Amino acid sequence: MSRERNRNYRQRVDEALATPRLQEALHTFGDAYVIARQNAFAGLDFEAMRTEIAEMKDHVREHRQDLVAEFTRNAEAAGAKVYLARTAEDANRYIAELAMQHGVKKVVKSKSMASEETHLNRALKAAGVEALETDLGEWIIQLAGQRPSHMVMPAIHMFRDEVAALFGKVTGQVESDDIPHLVQVAREQLRQGYFDADMGISGANMAIAETGGIALITNEGNARLATTLPKIHVALVGLEKLVPTLEDATKVMRVLPRNATGQLLTSYVTWIRGAVPCGDGDKELHIVLLDNGRSALAESPQCRDALRCIKCGACANVCPVYQTVGGHVFGHIYISAIGVILTAFYHGLENAADLVKACIGCRACVAVCPSAIDLEGIILHLREVLGDEEGIGTGKALVFKHIMRNRKLFHSMIRAASLLQKPVTRGERSIRHLPLFFSSLTEWRTLPAIAEKPLRDTWQAMPQRLDKPRYRVAFFAGCLNDFVYPEMGGDLVKVLNHLNVEVFFPKEQNCCGVPALYSGDRETAVALAEQNIEAMLADQPDFVVTTCPTCTMSLQRDFLELLQDNPVWAEKARQLADITIDVSRFIVDKLDGKAVFTDASGQEKVTYHDSCHLKRGAGVWEQPRQLLAGSGREVVEMAHSDRCCGFGGSYSFTSHPDIAKHILNDKVKDIEATGATCVAMDCPGCIMQIRGGLEKQEKSVRAKHTIELLAETLP
Amino acid sequence: MLNQFAEALKKVGGQVTEVATAREAAVYIAGRINGTVLLPPQSSLERAGLAAALEAEGVTVIKDSWREHAPAAGAGVTGVNFALADTGTLVLDSTAESLRLTTTLPERHFALLDPCKILADSLDAVPYLRGFHERAPRNYLAYITGPSRTADIERVLTIGVHGPRELHVLLMPGLSADFYEL
Ligand code: SF4
Repeated sequence: MSRERNRNYRQRVDEALATPRLQEALHTFGDAYVIARQNAFAGLDFEAMRTEIAEMKDHVREHRQDLVAEFTRNAEAAGAKVYLARTAEDANRYIAELAMQHGVKKVVKSKSMASEETHLNRALKAAGVEALETDLGEWIIQLAGQRPSHMVMPAIHMFRDEVAALFGKVTGQVESDDIPHLVQVAREQLRQGYFDADMGISGANMAIAETGGIALITNEGNARLATTLPKIHVALVGLEKLVPTLEDATKVMRVLPRNATGQLLTSYVTWIRGAVPCGDGDKELHIVLLDNGRSALAESPQCRDALRCIKCGACANVCPVYQTVGGHVFGHIYISAIGVILTAFYHGLENAADLVKACIGCRACVAVCPSAIDLEGIILHLREVLGDEEGIGTGKALVFKHIMRNRKLFHSMIRAASLLQKPVTRGERSIRHLPLFFSSLTEWRTLPAIAEKPLRDTWQAMPQRLDKPRYRVAFFAGCLNDFVYPEMGGDLVKVLNHLNVEVFFPKEQNCCGVPALYSGDRETAVALAEQNIEAMLADQPDFVVTTCPTCTMSLQRDFLELLQDNPVWAEKARQLADITIDVSRFIVDKLDGKAVFTDASGQEKVTYHDSCHLKRGAGVWEQPRQLLAGSGREVVEMAHSDRCCGFGGSYSFTSHPDIAKHILNDKVKDIEATGATCVAMDCPGCIMQIRGGLEKQEKSVRAKHTIELLAETLP
Repeated sequence: MLNQFAEALKKVGGQVTEVATAREAAVYIAGRINGTVLLPPQSSLERAGLAAALEAEGVTVIKDSWREHAPAAGAGVTGVNFALADTGTLVLDSTAESLRLTTTLPERHFALLDPCKILADSLDAVPYLRGFHERAPRNYLAYITGPSRTADIERVLTIGVHGPRELHVLLMPGLSADFYEL
């Protein structure tokens, strides 16, 4: 089953990657979105707004039973019928039976993701009821027999010529692919449907407990028609749409369009309470509140924040994976980051298994989510659950459990590998080609060779003669600095010594554990966390300095989380987290070293790449730029400086190298467009990826760690 | 506030004009339509004598049998309960079905607003929403911000899908100061 599933998934990835105009469309949209969103929030405090929404939604989760009761009471007092559907089938059965009881033959629908979730149209069809989608995007995909590829713009993957062909089949004539014309065709074709239908089905963006009313946030006007003309109105509403008061609903309304499409407000917001007049009498209003996994989600401490989601779709808009493969690959019914999580709970872990691995972990979604959901954190958790359920692959499991946890064995194996690679490196630092089976690994980027001598072996040879050092700091190198780029360690010592800081290298340090954790092996991650805490705190450093932001996140965030329930280790983890700091921030914030490194020979033009975990994990992006500018270099900004480079650790090696390659190519283009001769960054992983891409494409731009560029200014 | 409202509305494709009398309003409307005009019963417009003014300009005004007449009508004319400055939004108590048909089916919507009824933003509107709910047990309240729109094909913004293609706001001082009156 899972083999078959995975094969289908791989096939969809390949198809999407072979559709460049899809990628182009999603990239263009993503760029326009970022600007529109920025304008829409001008003068507003997004952080404060999203904190408010998150708190309100958490309150709703905690008090959901009371709020459902309050909503039901008020809605029924206004003449509505409220039905609580436990499952998708339950909701579909209720609606289909209602249709049959009233002899309904035709239904008009306005956009409802909940009805996509339950496959309502299928159920209606089985009951002999024809459902007509009236939202333009939904109608297009209904005609095409597809599912939405975006929560807000369901047909974002389709092009005008395809739409014209579909519409032509409906009208029986050739339709031009002029967009206003196509919109006019839809208007004319769908108009009569509202009059013919005996039932209108809508979703809702909010269900307001205080009033028992619902609110719909829409642009086209079809929801107003679908809730006005037919005699019966059914609103299918996910339980998470409940809000306590009209103020709360208004707060969601202020944020949703701004964050979804960059509109200040949609054309229409429709507040419906109760059975309003319809023709000669009153409407029959049914509100179906849908559970279908939401209560289970509410009970999961690690995942429940996902219930805060207001379905704005922003997490897709900014996602580099989504932009590369679209929502039919990176999604099931719900798409993108939130889709991974909701799929697991609403459609079963089985359907989420591939999606969970497709996330590259760049946290772009976390930065724009208006409900402050740590999407990446939840996806990581699901990966662990899946690791337990499905296993993480025997090869990986072996490496993590038996090798990585044993530091000496792990490190001696890396040394051995350094010898074994000799025939392919030909004494160079980069591997450009690998033989046969491994050749795909160097098709689109060169790979660095494992250093002949790791940093840990050369450390003692670096003299540090400081009289009265300001600080004694421990260096947490991480595997890449230690075994692949040991020279960065030398530069770190040189730079920090210049600032009168002594650096020592605790030899017992091991891999930070991210590769294991991100692959779903929590046990190994815990073992590594304990080893590292022990090693790093042993000599009581003033700070623990890092050059890799993924390690920083691990030491600052993951260790805490991994050990929070362990009374022996929790306190030590906290201690380590408190003194861990990445090197650029350390130099600027703690050492006031902004203007110390001044002599960059020859005014090099540098552009800066923001590493995901540095900018969105540690919140650092100004400091490296200040250091580079301070060193006399000209710093030019590239487009999308904080877009992922596509590295993602094992993501670019084993899980999704094909997607990683596309994301890297985007980055190389952005770098090249600046005309800079050097791209700086603060992450050895990004260096591996970006340098590899630049070398493979034979660009004359060098990729360097900020610390290396600072060292260049010293004699 | 009036300026902010007008600017925001223009940005989303609405048109704003000022009129002093029902006659000026009727002239403005009559010059921009083909076909009949839907005019549901609304006290502020009745007081202003808008129906008569429109008829004096030669417009056929529909005052009943909405379901029958609405699909073919050229325009709908309404008052406005109140407006929101920051987004250029009109708030209409659309509980009466005639109001809904008037503002959804025709291609043009003309809305007469007394400029004294403009609030700063949607949070200021909440007490009035509550007020509507207290006055009547069932309601259908509509926030309208510009004409109907879509970007569902290749994300190209296109005006006028299922609802009106044109939204004209006629600012008429002295029309009504009552937020609960249309
Ligand atoms: S998870 Fe956040 S960003 Fe994604 S759709 Fe939900 S609210 Fe929007």
